[in-house]
Formats: sequence, C-alpha cells, structure tokens
Amino acid sequence: MPDFSLLLTHGIFHILAALITVVSIFVVASKHPVKSAVFLVIDLFLLAAVYASLDSHFVAAIQVLVYAGAILVLFLFVIMLLNLQPEQLRGLKFSVIESGTLLISLIGLLIMIFTSFRGVQTGLGDGTLDVQAIEAAGGNTYVVAIKLLTSYIWPFELASILILLSIVAAIVIAKKDKKVLTSSPSGQS
Amino acid sequence: MGLTANEFTVQFIGTLIKFAIVAGIALNIPPVMVWAERRIPAMMQRRKGPNRVGIFQFRIYGLMQSLADTIKLIFKEEVVPEGAHKAFYHLAPVFAVFPAFLIAMAIPYGPDIQVFGYTVPLSVIHVDVGFLFIFAVSSLAVYGVTIAGWASNNKYSLLGALRASGQMISYEIPLGMSLIPIVLIYGSLDLNKIVEAQTHVWTWGVFLSPISFVLFLISMFAETNRAPFDLAEAEGELVAGFHTEYTSAKFAAFFLGEYVSMFVLSCLASTVFFGGWQVPFFDVRSLDEMFGFVGVGALVGFMSLLLKAAFFMWVYVWVRWTVPRFRYDQLMNLGWKYMIPLGLINVVVTAVILAAVRF
Amino acid sequence: MVPVEFYFVLACVMFMLGLFGALFRRNLIMVLMSIELMLNAVNLVFVAAGRATGNVDGQVMVLFVITVAACEAAVGLAMVIALFRKYGTINTDILRLLRG
Repeated sequence: MPDFSLLLTHGIFHILAALITVVSIFVVASKHPVKSAVFLVIDLFLLAAVYASLDSHFVAAIQVLVYAGAILVLFLFVIMLLNLQPEQLRGLKFSVIESGTLLISLIGLLIMIFTSFRGVQTGLGDGTLDVQAIEAAGGNTYVVAIKLLTSYIWPFELASILILLSIVAAIVIAKKDKKVLTSSPSGQS
Repeated sequence: MGLTANEFTVQFIGTLIKFAIVAGIALNIPPVMVWAERRIPAMMQRRKGPNRVGIFQFRIYGLMQSLADTIKLIFKEEVVPEGAHKAFYHLAPVFAVFPAFLIAMAIPYGPDIQVFGYTVPLSVIHVDVGFLFIFAVSSLAVYGVTIAGWASNNKYSLLGALRASGQMISYEIPLGMSLIPIVLIYGSLDLNKIVEAQTHVWTWGVFLSPISFVLFLISMFAETNRAPFDLAEAEGELVAGFHTEYTSAKFAAFFLGEYVSMFVLSCLASTVFFGGWQVPFFDVRSLDEMFGFVGVGALVGFMSLLLKAAFFMWVYVWVRWTVPRFRYDQLMNLGWKYMIPLGLINVVVTAVILAAVRF
Repeated sequence: MVPVEFYFVLACVMFMLGLFGALFRRNLIMVLMSIELMLNAVNLVFVAAGRATGNVDGQVMVLFVITVAACEAAVGLAMVIALFRKYGTINTDILRLLRG
C-alpha cells in the first residue's frame, strides 16, 4: 500500500512554496501600497498553511489571527488614511550602497544555508516531536503553552511589557500636536 | 501519519460529501432568512408581510418571494463605478464570502460516526485548535468590508468601511475574551471536545459562564454588523455603507457573506453555550444502537444544532426590530470601556474559581 | 516528509525579496511591509528547524517574533503618520534628514 501522506505533503508543500514565492514578488513589486498589503495578507495565509503542514497548528492560527487579522489591518488603515498615490517605480534608483548590501546579504545567506545546516538531519519526523509524540503529550497547543509558560516565562512577561510600551509609544507619537497641526500642510487627504 | 489508500479514500470522499452538504445549507441560508426577516417583524407588528408570490395557487406563506428576489438580483445589470479600483472592486465580494464559508466548515455538526470501520468526524475541517481557527478566519472578514469600501471610490462607502472595520476589530476582542472562560472550564480548544463535555444540561456553557454568554451575544451582533450595531450601513447617514456601489450578483455576495456569518456565529453560540449537537436529558449517540443503524444519532444531533442555531437567527431578527441603532461613540464606549474590562474580570474570576474548585 | 532544506530555501527567497523591498522601495509603508515579509521568512525557518530537530522552542520563538512584529508595526506606523503630518510625504528620497 503506498503511503499517500508522503505524496500529499510533498505536493502540498511544492504548490504552497510556488504560490508564496509568486505572491511575495507581487508584494514587493506592486505599485500601489493597498495591492501590496492585500498580497501580503494572502502570503501570510499561505504561510499559515505551511505551518499547519508542519503540524504547528497553534502557530498557524496565531499567524493568521495576529498578522493577517490585526497587523495588516493596521497597515491598510494607515494607507487609506493617508490616501497615498501609487509610487513612481520608474524613478527607482539603484544606489551602490543598497545594491552592495543586497549582494553581500545574498552571499551571506547562501553561505549560511550551505554550511550551518549541513549537520542537521535532512528528513523531518525522526525527532521526538512527531505527530504521535505531540498527541501523547496533550496536543500541539498544550506542548507550546507548557514551554512558553515554564522555560520562557521571563521573555513572555517582557513581551507583555513591550506591548504596553509600544501602545503608549504609538499613541504619543501619532497624537495630534496642536502646534504642528496649525502649521501642517492642509488639504492632504 | 501513514495514511493508507483505503483510509485516504474514505476521508477524501467523506470530506467532499460533508463539504457539499455544509455549502448547500450555507447557500440556502440567505433566501430563508430574507423571508424570515420580512415575515417575523410582520408578525410582531400585526402586518401580513410578503405572502403573494407562490407557485400557481400554492402561496406557501410567501416563501417564493426570496426566489423571485434572488432571480431579480442575479439578472440585474451590473454597474461598475467610474473611478473604482477595478481588480479590488471585483475581488472584495470574494473576501467577504470566503471567511464565512471557511468558518462554517470548522463547526462540528454532529458526533463522530463510524463508516466502514473508520472514524469520520462531522466537521469538514477538523483541527485541534478549532477555536483559534475560527477566530483567525473570522478576523479576515474585515478585509472584504474594507477593500469594498475603498475600491468603490465613494466617500459613503469609505466611511462605512472604516466604521465597519473599526467596529469589527474592536468587538473581536470581547468576543475572544468571552470564550476564554469556556476554554478554561472545558480545558480544550477543540470544539468537538467542548461539545462532548456538555452532555448534561447543567454543564452547558450558558449555566457555567453566564457573563460570557452575554458578552458573546452582544459582540455577535457587532461582528456581523447587524442592528443595533449596523452603523456601517446606517441608511440615514451613509446611503448603504460599504456596499453602496455594488449591484446585482456582487451585492448578493455581500448579502450571502453577512447571512452566512450570522449563521456561523449562531452555530458557534449554540455549540459553545448550548451543547451543540447534544439533546437535553438524552444521549444522542445511544440512538445508533437503539435503531441498529449508523448515523441516526448524528442526524438527530445535526437537527438539534440547526434548531438551536435557528433560535439565534430568530434572536437576530427579533433584536433588529426591537432595539434602536447605537451612535458610533456609544458603540465604541460600550466595547472598550465596559465589555473589554468586564471580559477581563470574567476571565480572572473564572480562573480563580476554577483554581479553588480543582485544588 | 519534505526535506528541511526546502523550507530554508523558501525562507531565503522570501527574505531576499523582503530585503529587496526594504532597500529599494521609496514608500515608508512599503519598507515596513517588506520588513514584515523578512520577519515571516525568519518565522518559517524557526518552525521548520524546530520541527526537524524535534522540539517546540522554534514555535515559541515564532510567538515572540510575532509579538515584536506587532509592536514594530504599531510604532512604525505611528511614526509614518507623524512624519506625514509634518512633511506631507513619506517618500524616503525626501525624508533624508538623517543622511545629512
């Protein structure tokens, strides 16, 4: 009896990977910010599907819930609020510094891939975290939660303080300053 | 893992059948609801409501009115506004319908059934983080509204869209918080396990966590942009809100999305607070042995869930014709100043009580 | 199962696309969105590597990355709004005070 799950996971991964690549290109290359934002939403959704195929259901759900449901809505709001016009991509300047940065990081990433992961097992699923082990331990959410609230309790608490700080910071920064308001260029909307 | 060919076939065909059934039911929700939404207020206000359209002399209480409406909507001429962002204008109805249907797939419609020795769960997508999945997908519903309003290039549409999305994002928080006590009480994110834990009436969510139910019910109306929170389409101020510029089949798609998400939230409310497919004082699964036929229990459970969901749909209509529309600042005040703190207190109190009971 | 390198290659492609956007786009919001793309590539590596080596630490890390991304987006967009109010543009060619 052939193992259908093998065929299925391979097929699903390759389709998803191709889609993610294409959509990511659209995200970066779209002229209009709203288009980019919508493609980014689709991208995040597809990534969540990849996480789900890696048996990380909790992270997949959180990915869609927080990223697609909250962060990207924020982006969309700001784009609509500022009513930005499409960018003139023809005037794209390739400066030496930026191109050099891109090239160096590309080379660095390639080196990183081909060296540091050589020792890692190429096949998935031979670790302790296969599906049966997760099920036996009480499910993916349970395992992640236990890890998060024991080993990573201090980063977890710090993250909550970080969120509080960023709420306050965002409000303070974005609040309308009376002096700036009077001198700001009117009729921008 | 290690799915064999037989099991794969059974699960695949089973999923297709379940998908077809759920999609068929979901697609039939709007026509019935449109009819109900005219007849129920008519009953309440001692009018007749639409009762003429029928097949020949069989009027069947005007039920054919919705069929006539649907045909009219689909065959209407489609007008695309001049300055619209074409691609997004056409894409927005898809964004509005897709999340509602995807959530409908995750709700457990009945107990697991045994087919040819394989266990088939009666929800199309069976994930062990059912709750989070539903929240994640329902948070995508904002995009349909926002993009529709923005792409129409109409100030009323944009205002309606901004109102609607602000409201939906705000009320997602109390909606999520109202369900945290439920997760704490039943100790699972899996909807099917939550239903199975509600075997007895006194273990129903509504009795164990009544404040959660109230919070959920209020946020339910806000999430679907229904009266008394239908500020997004306040006729007096915004013409029709985000779908002002939509006509014919695309308008019908928004309608479909709204009613299906109402149905889905009704199903969720009955699943979480009213025992889902459980029938009070009676174990549905014992019916299988009683009749000696697989699936009787599942069918009865399914009918039970639909009946409970129908009750909530009726509540939607009832409230719409009873409570006047809120003002936007009142809506936001209610959400952020009362419901979110109340939800937080509810979570803490439930956790403390549970800790006291269990230790 | 799919070899773990495939995930790394996919993540690498995403990261490079994000870096390209962050470096060459002139719209500040586009730069922020490209950074989100890069963060997502990193998340993918975390999840895939965690799955390959058999522990959930990768998934926990993803949760922290998402938290930081949310904070970054909130503060970054607030700054974009403040900049737009002050200068009437968010083009990085014009907003170059830091470059002297």
